[in-house]
Amino acid sequence: MAEFRPIDVNARFIGIGEYYVGRDAMTTIGLGSCIALILHDERHEVGAMAHVMLPESKGQTDRPGKYADTALATLLEGLGPFGSRNGSIRAKMVGGANMFGFNDNNLNIGERNIEAVHRVLDERRIALDAEDVGGKVGRSVMYNPKAGGTIVVRRADGVCAEL
Amino acid sequence: MKLTEIQADALGELGNIGAAHAATTLSQMLMSDIEMDVPSVDIIDIAQFYQCVGDEKVALVVFRIDGGVEGEGFVVMMMPLPSAMRMTNTMLGMDDMDREINEMDQSAIIEIGNIMVSAFLDATATLLGIVMLPSPPALCIDMAHAGMEALIAEVAMETNDVVIFRTNLTCGQHAIDGTILMFLTPEMLGNLLSLLEALTSQGM
Repeated sequence: MAEFRPIDVNARFIGIGEYYVGRDAMTTIGLGSCIALILHDERHEVGAMAHVMLPESKGQTDRPGKYADTALATLLEGLGPFGSRNGSIRAKMVGGANMFGFNDNNLNIGERNIEAVHRVLDERRIALDAEDVGGKVGRSVMYNPKAGGTIVVRRADGVCAEL
Repeated sequence: MKLTEIQADALGELGNIGAAHAATTLSQMLMSDIEMDVPSVDIIDIAQFYQCVGDEKVALVVFRIDGGVEGEGFVVMMMPLPSAMRMTNTMLGMDDMDREINEMDQSAIIEIGNIMVSAFLDATATLLGIVMLPSPPALCIDMAHAGMEALIAEVAMETNDVVIFRTNLTCGQHAIDGTILMFLTPEMLGNLLSLLEALTSQGM
């Protein structure tokens, strides 16, 4: 049974628009339309996570973790000094829900975020290993680079699953 | 972005009047006393938002602010799930707490949210001499932070600050807690502030 205990493991909390690159456990709480983009390098036991809020930066540079395009570039750049190369990096993503079931395309930011993350991963030729995205459900996610890149996703009803 | 003390006070007072009207409608619907705490107005960086709202399961009823003010804004009624269930039980004359939220609960939660938020917006708009109407409601029963992310994404597209007004309502008799929140873009905040300043200069 997967466990979700960010406090016990002293995980780094990644708020909306933030990111972290390193060897510590990291967590994102209450993902709705946002996406946790996670990069894992098994060989170097290092990884990165960004809490992406919007698909495109449109030239904004102050919060690289906030947008799909700038987030991926920034995470890859951050992993470079650890010896990571594109070939050894695998991606996972969680979130992109449509919490209110809005049909209005404008409000369905979750869907647009999923598409944008897929697109930038393709562009940089990073393999997407697994994803738990879409639907009408909130998710919290916990990732520990030293635990073989396993991700634990928890839903509002407390059910946890490994990804 | 920073609010002056006067601006924060004026906004707090505006929200206070709105929330008091919302509390009155809830009090009438539950036929019980409702206590209201002092509203807070904060400008929060989106990265810190998880510290204000967690991932516990709640009922959220969300309304977009339509009408006479430029900019985007949302009003949200948030209630922990057990409170929401006690509220619908009280209204529908039931006492079964050991059940799933059903369609009847959902309709009741939406309707109560609608009445409360309409009262909230109506009272604030009347004070400002404008029209503010709630959009049709949208309901989400899930993690609080997850539900509000889409709203944050709307109001913080071009900024990293969100203006959050919040006040808690409590019904001691039935152990019901709820929170009314308002999210504003800097544009709508600015417009509300200039309306408030115009009011004060008229010697309100």
